[in-house]
Amino acid sequence: MILKGALGVLLTLVIIAAFALPITPQPQSWLEFPLIPGLEEKARIIFFHVPTAWLSVMAFLTSMVFGIRYLRKRDMLDDIRSSSAAGLGLLFCILATATGAVWAKFNWGSFWNWDPRETSIFVLLLIYGAYFSLRSAIEVEEKRATLSSVYSIIAAVTVPFFVFIMPRIMTGLHPGAKGDPDGAGPVIEFKMSPNMRVVFFASLIAFTLLFVWMFTLRVRAARLESHLQAKG
Amino acid sequence: MEFLAEHQLYIVMIIVLGIWLGLYVYLFRLDGRISKLEKESRHES
Repeated sequence: MILKGALGVLLTLVIIAAFALPITPQPQSWLEFPLIPGLEEKARIIFFHVPTAWLSVMAFLTSMVFGIRYLRKRDMLDDIRSSSAAGLGLLFCILATATGAVWAKFNWGSFWNWDPRETSIFVLLLIYGAYFSLRSAIEVEEKRATLSSVYSIIAAVTVPFFVFIMPRIMTGLHPGAKGDPDGAGPVIEFKMSPNMRVVFFASLIAFTLLFVWMFTLRVRAARLESHLQAKG
Repeated sequence: MEFLAEHQLYIVMIIVLGIWLGLYVYLFRLDGRISKLEKESRHES
């Protein structure tokens, strides 16, 4: 209850700070963000775009962990957890793609450019889209759980490659790509001022809490559903 | 109104806050309903 209240307040404050604090070339106080050349007002998207992308990675890895647990213990609850995490991962991945496309429209001129970063997230969406096609194609519960657990492990192995490696070893427009004059590290490390980092990490915590809440709700609902189905 | 016309970013902020409030209320109510169903199912078994 306290965590839910904290989440409500925290994300509300993050949204207010992300939009209401002015961006100026020479900040005079803690309540002003510095102007990042090339990003300007569009820098505000970082507070929402990066946490959604980060959470999709976390969710895919969570899906893998519960996939491994299912294969070891054969507990159907772990399969429910694994698929719930993959579902949320796909949702956050779509959100990251959508927020990235909006940003690309105003920074690069069009919603979609097939930049290495965009291509890699598109492939990731296809991989996890296929996960749900696989699940819906198998009717026998145990077989579905086993196959989708194995698939979730293989799929999660590709995640670091598509999110962290491929966009950095190829030349692209996305910040942090090969050829970026500021280096190939995460944007937060070299471009954000301390006050931007506070809002950014607060956003990361808030989004993580939101993910945990949504995840537990999905698992509880799925568990209730399987209880009701078992009763007939 | 003149203030909002000059600072259009605040309109975006209000819309985002509205979406967040809607999502929060939805999740809160869903949480309550699931808790109720869990209680009922525990009583039945």
